[in-house]
Amino acid sequence: MNADPNVSPGDFFGLLEKSGYRWHARIDPSQAQNAITVTHGTTVLAFHFKDGVIVAGDRRATAGNSIMYERCDKVIPIDDYTLMAIAGVPATAFEMARVLTHNFEYYRRSQMQVMSVEGKIRALSKLLKENVGMAVQGLGVVSPIFATYDIKSKKAAIHFYDMLGADFKISTHTATGSGSPTIRGILEHEDLWGEKPLLERSESDAVTLAIRLLQTAAQFDSATGKARPEDNIFPTVALVTEAGYRFLNDEEMAGLCQASLKRGRATPGGN
Amino acid sequence: MFEEPYRWMEAVSTRHNYVQEKLKMGQPVLSVPYDDGVLIMGFSPQPGKIFEVYDRIALGGVGHPADVERLRMTLLDMAHLEGFNRSAQDVTLARLLQFGIAPALKQNFEEIQRAPYIICLLLVELDGAGHPNFFRVNYDGHWETFKSGTVIAGNEKVMDEVQKKIQDTPFATFTLDKALEETCRLWAESRKQYEEDDKSIPMTLKEAFDQWYFEAAVLSGKVERRAIYRALTKEEIGKLKSSVG
Repeated sequence: MNADPNVSPGDFFGLLEKSGYRWHARIDPSQAQNAITVTHGTTVLAFHFKDGVIVAGDRRATAGNSIMYERCDKVIPIDDYTLMAIAGVPATAFEMARVLTHNFEYYRRSQMQVMSVEGKIRALSKLLKENVGMAVQGLGVVSPIFATYDIKSKKAAIHFYDMLGADFKISTHTATGSGSPTIRGILEHEDLWGEKPLLERSESDAVTLAIRLLQTAAQFDSATGKARPEDNIFPTVALVTEAGYRFLNDEEMAGLCQASLKRGRATPGGN
Repeated sequence: MFEEPYRWMEAVSTRHNYVQEKLKMGQPVLSVPYDDGVLIMGFSPQPGKIFEVYDRIALGGVGHPADVERLRMTLLDMAHLEGFNRSAQDVTLARLLQFGIAPALKQNFEEIQRAPYIICLLLVELDGAGHPNFFRVNYDGHWETFKSGTVIAGNEKVMDEVQKKIQDTPFATFTLDKALEETCRLWAESRKQYEEDDKSIPMTLKEAFDQWYFEAAVLSGKVERRAIYRALTKEEIGKLKSSVG
């Protein structure tokens, strides 16, 4: 227990600051006048299904009109029960993920208890709030999706954030990035008028839908990458359930992509 | 008062006696390899003997709880800053000890105006190649490394006896269940070294399970996640209790 009442015990941010690290970025008014125009060359999505939450993302990284990288991992494990899907400036987003990973693990190990879901959600809010300076200067806008499983209440949670750090609890589905407008409507349609509400779908059905959604987004958004089985490039698909997170590996994804993208109504699970 | 070298040496020697006397009742913590990783276990009247330090590093402590806690926090701070600034692969026990707590402990112990740490620590890691490394660190910063497992205890006779038995047992070939049973057996054998008339110390495994806290954790090579530390579940402990109790 830290004896200083002004220091929160188990706070990795405080430890980082003591070591000379600074996350906080100042707002430069001369740069802030331009509205935020940073492109979100990405599609990441998350929705609730029967056993928990599915989080998926394409693999393309772009800079303006150029495709820079086709194997970018935009779904990042934070701790055993938490994933973050990122859209926005990769440097800032990856750094946020790294800070959060160490923050949650440091808290768990030092305080000998898992940080509450509310605490985890707040930690990401704090990072986004402190990043506003970079964001308004157009250098570091990040729009993340945060998915976690609360082992105490045995409930999965999805949170979506705005640039200023406000978090919004999502009870069904969300998507962010440049390809998201295309698929948000599909998700809503599937949830309301599909064969089953998203929350009642099996893992297999949820994975199939995620793969199809990302392929659809890639069809209409040049900054979203398609699956390229011949080059062993598949979307990232991960599940967060009572057992923790699990990423589908390339072998699984090869089979699932082939089956899911087959034309027609049949799903790989036969449902 | 301590200007003369002899006085200083005498004071240091007195500190050794003081700390050793304080540590005397410290109950053993054993760590051994098994076929899939490393096991660390111990019994104690109060919980707080075994801890996770970093992704592949665990700690066992004997001594004053506040001192164990201070060093645990120091190790946690160092490991997490290193892991954040560089990589988790750069967080190794040898570095944490050699360049971190060992020199600080030695300096603290020899600065005779300051209160000494009343501790003996067992540190263990399963490195990236899956090899276990065992370390024992004393209150004066002296540390040793062991290949096939180690033990810490306040009573040196107990420590030497159990250490010898650990070295003579092929733990690395055992399953987790067998390693647990065998470490419990070694723990029970170590009871013979304690005074039998001290009623506060359990003399059998059954008494220990009933009266004290059993703590055990593994660093498992099978885990695919970054953090491979796992405390034993209630079910695993229940199974062990029924097989050895």
